[in-house]
Amino acid sequence: MNPNRTRVAPRLRRVFAQPEHASLVVLVAMVVIAAILQRNFFAPTSLMLTIDALGPLILLTMGQAVVMVCGALDLSSGAALSLYTCVLTWIMESGHPLTGVLALGVTIGVAVLVGVVNGIGAGYMRISSVVVTFATSFVWLGIALFIRPTPGGQSVNWFNAFFAYDSVHGMPKPLLTFGTVIPPVLQLVLLACLIWFLISKTTVGRYIYAVGGGEDSAYRTGINTARTKTIAYVINALFILLAALFFVGQNQSGDARFGEPFTLQTIAAAVVGGISLTGGRGSVYSAIVGAVIIELVNKIIFFANIPYAYGTLIAGLIVIFAIGVSQLYTIYSQRSLAKRNAPQ
Amino acid sequence: MRVAESQRRAWSVRGSYERHKRIITAVGAIILVFVLGNILVGGFLNVHEILITVKLASFLALFGLCQMVVMAAGNAGLDLSVGYTATIAAVFTAPIMNGHNGHLWLAVLVAVAIGVMVGLANGILSSYARLPSLVVTLAMAEVLQGIINIYTAGRMINGTPSPVLQTVAAKSTGMVPNMVFVLAVVALVALVVLYRTKLGAILFGVGENETTAYLGGINTKRVRTLAFMASAVIASLIGLLLLGNMGNAFKDMGSSYVLPSIAAAVVGGVSLRGGNGNFIGVILGAILLQALLNLLVALGWGDAGKWTGFGVVLYVVLIAYVGDKRTR
Repeated sequence: MNPNRTRVAPRLRRVFAQPEHASLVVLVAMVVIAAILQRNFFAPTSLMLTIDALGPLILLTMGQAVVMVCGALDLSSGAALSLYTCVLTWIMESGHPLTGVLALGVTIGVAVLVGVVNGIGAGYMRISSVVVTFATSFVWLGIALFIRPTPGGQSVNWFNAFFAYDSVHGMPKPLLTFGTVIPPVLQLVLLACLIWFLISKTTVGRYIYAVGGGEDSAYRTGINTARTKTIAYVINALFILLAALFFVGQNQSGDARFGEPFTLQTIAAAVVGGISLTGGRGSVYSAIVGAVIIELVNKIIFFANIPYAYGTLIAGLIVIFAIGVSQLYTIYSQRSLAKRNAPQ
Repeated sequence: MRVAESQRRAWSVRGSYERHKRIITAVGAIILVFVLGNILVGGFLNVHEILITVKLASFLALFGLCQMVVMAAGNAGLDLSVGYTATIAAVFTAPIMNGHNGHLWLAVLVAVAIGVMVGLANGILSSYARLPSLVVTLAMAEVLQGIINIYTAGRMINGTPSPVLQTVAAKSTGMVPNMVFVLAVVALVALVVLYRTKLGAILFGVGENETTAYLGGINTKRVRTLAFMASAVIASLIGLLLLGNMGNAFKDMGSSYVLPSIAAAVVGGVSLRGGNGNFIGVILGAILLQALLNLLVALGWGDAGKWTGFGVVLYVVLIAYVGDKRTR
């Protein structure tokens, strides 16, 4: 027997028992497949398009990840995204740059309110988070429809800065170069990462993991579990707002039904990124990996010349497949870890 | 002696109030909505209008039965795919019947088969793979919608329901819509099966306390899977009735029932934790939501008012009935 071989195998298995590592391997495989299918995948222009498509899903998934780490789920994230785009384009008037500031302020307020309403139901009243956010998703949809029954609205010119600097009038030259080096959507993602980095260093960040790991034990150690959950929902709402800023910059319009398909994708992406559906485990940054995988799968399907009508079916199957495999994987790796840690 | 008698009466009145609190609240709310509609819009408080409301609510109540069965099995189960299951059943059976009674049996068979397949997939994924049922059934809804999209891409959905189905779902006997009789029969069957058979006891037992049921020798995962199958089969049969009522099948015929069906079940006092459920309450919940919808439509608030109204009702009822605040 070769002693090296016997030592490598268990170490390898231990590396793969971490869901994050497994999803990194999947990520590399996806990039390879996408690069084979799309010849100019690494060309700057197509890479820019990929990043623009990726950014919003990353932001939404990071928000969903915060809520999932806290042991809850948010089925209203897509509807909230639509609501923010509607509120933003409702307040803004294209001729008055100052209305953009007002719109931003009001929408931040709306986002906090959205988080608090979800938090009251799932945190303070301790109702199953999925049912509460399912109910609120229709409230957001209804309010968005009141504001904007048909897609439309207007936006101020400087809001384009959230999508591309070069379409903003009078943008100074150095900023313009900065915008081409780091595209605006990447800046938004970095901002979200910074926000989460700062929060995760505070006690609140630790509490979010503690509540997700075991709500009752967290409660008994004196953590205000209801407030912690509400804060997680507010963080989620703010990350969704960042995605809404990008979309308004891109489309200059609001649409009450535009966010719906995102909800399931964010959950699937977070799970693929290694975040446990039961909470308490997984890194919020690894949600980025999950979002990239899901978006690349979408891209691969697009380049595989599958008819448009098949889109919804495949999206649904991917979610079921992704969540199912991740869950079985988690059960398997927990079992194998438990077996190894058991006294011989 | 007299004192004791009256005291016992008082106790029993209070006891029955406690037991039927949610049903009494639902009836009160229904009356309130009708009176409000009569004051604000007018024409709400007549026999014809009330019977039409009950008829439209009966479809919703049947969807509520789907939710009730899944909720009763516990584990925070809900079925978000019911509306889409109904749609797909209607879309696939309409060309089979094509306006004749001869192929009705085949249509029912196909509908049941669709229900069994959808329910089996939902049940296996949520009870054996231990995934949250809301996420599973939401993804299933997307899959079903995708199948409908593919089937209807670039082609008309042809076919009309058989005359028997139309008579059952759309016509009336005298003043009473036939759907009211259907609902009464279904309610009777549901009450007997859930409260007078072993099957019902097992379902509630698993929902009430999974560990006890498991230790009592019940295959709890199989019971949950069966609950999802029952829900999907009922949903696809509702699809047939919707087809009979509307006269033709279309893409979004069932999807708008999903949220109100959950709201109807919760308003009717079905616990999200499982282990109970009273179909009479669900029917009242459905009538309340339908009356509310009529009011919102009559006020001219349309889609926006409908979704905001239903969402707010579900949120408020969840907080009032399910909320379990913890104080230190």
